[in-house]
Amino acid sequence: MDRWWSDGTERGGVLWGGVVAIVATGAFLGVFQNALVRAGSKDEGLAWKYEAPKLQTLEEIQAQGSAGGATPPAPAPPADPNDPLGIPVGVTDIPDVGRPIEVTATKARELVDSKGAAIIDAREAADYAAGHIPGAVNLPFDEVITDPERLEAFDPAGKPILVYCGGVTCELSMKLGYELVRLGKKRVLVYTGGWPEWNDMGYPTVKGTAPEGA
Amino acid sequence: MLHFFRHPTVRRIAQLGAGVIFLAAALPKIADLEAFSGSIHNFHMEPVVPMVLTNVLAVTIPWIELVAGLALIANVKPRAGAVVYTALMVLFTVAVVAALARGLSFDCGCFGKSDAANLGMKKLLENLGMVALGVIASLERRG
Repeated sequence: MDRWWSDGTERGGVLWGGVVAIVATGAFLGVFQNALVRAGSKDEGLAWKYEAPKLQTLEEIQAQGSAGGATPPAPAPPADPNDPLGIPVGVTDIPDVGRPIEVTATKARELVDSKGAAIIDAREAADYAAGHIPGAVNLPFDEVITDPERLEAFDPAGKPILVYCGGVTCELSMKLGYELVRLGKKRVLVYTGGWPEWNDMGYPTVKGTAPEGA
Repeated sequence: MLHFFRHPTVRRIAQLGAGVIFLAAALPKIADLEAFSGSIHNFHMEPVVPMVLTNVLAVTIPWIELVAGLALIANVKPRAGAVVYTALMVLFTVAVVAALARGLSFDCGCFGKSDAANLGMKKLLENLGMVALGVIASLERRG
């Protein structure tokens, strides 16, 4: 006869009964705790149905704006020393919405070609040196997320900031985007396709540790 | 060799170790469920586990870890606790391998936010060690 508390001799049905009891108790406590917290306030605890955090795309935000939404008008673009007219192409239509905005490869290309954005490559230094988008500054996510001063010191010279990274899902760039906004940076764009897409499309790239190539 | 691992003292130490690991894993997650939910999302297991279940896992896993950890430490149903520990550890290791194989790199949140190490070989070896500990802790007591 096994005692209920057992001392490690449990086997067979008693063992599996214990396993089920532990899992069921844990799951029940977890659900109970979350339900209790959510009963107090819907904003606390976790929603039962998970929704992945998603960025709004530039097109969605512009569509809202033209539909008379509350989007503030785009600030005047800054003077660009590389552009005699002082208006970088395709930059005038980027609003500051207080959160990162997702952009497509086409828009990213436009911004890179016109030097209309300060670009951050959030990948590791070795990946950056092996190839990056021309003009991109390397701020590896792992390093800067624990060292906000480096991010704060990043000066986009009045331009929008374009963040990208590599990997399959490129969520680091999104997180970095949120961190930049939190630090008070304006008009933060996230190129979610990132390095893999840019490279696959055959867009211009440079190698080396310098933004414009070694 | 197996004889050595079956020694009651060795098994008991393994059980205590596994219990402490699970408590250390459970408490920071319970304190910040949102961060843990984000970590689960990062594993991108949606081909196997639907994304919509992310929060259900985030709510239940830390508490199952806590109960199993307490069982191991308090020596109440320790073998059942060790089996739960080992099964969860194997699942976590599979998730880490699957993530590494797809080139995902992120802070795994394994021990809450303080564990800022990105996924890599080190995490994998660490996990395999923790699985081995669980196997020793689960060995049947003879006699």
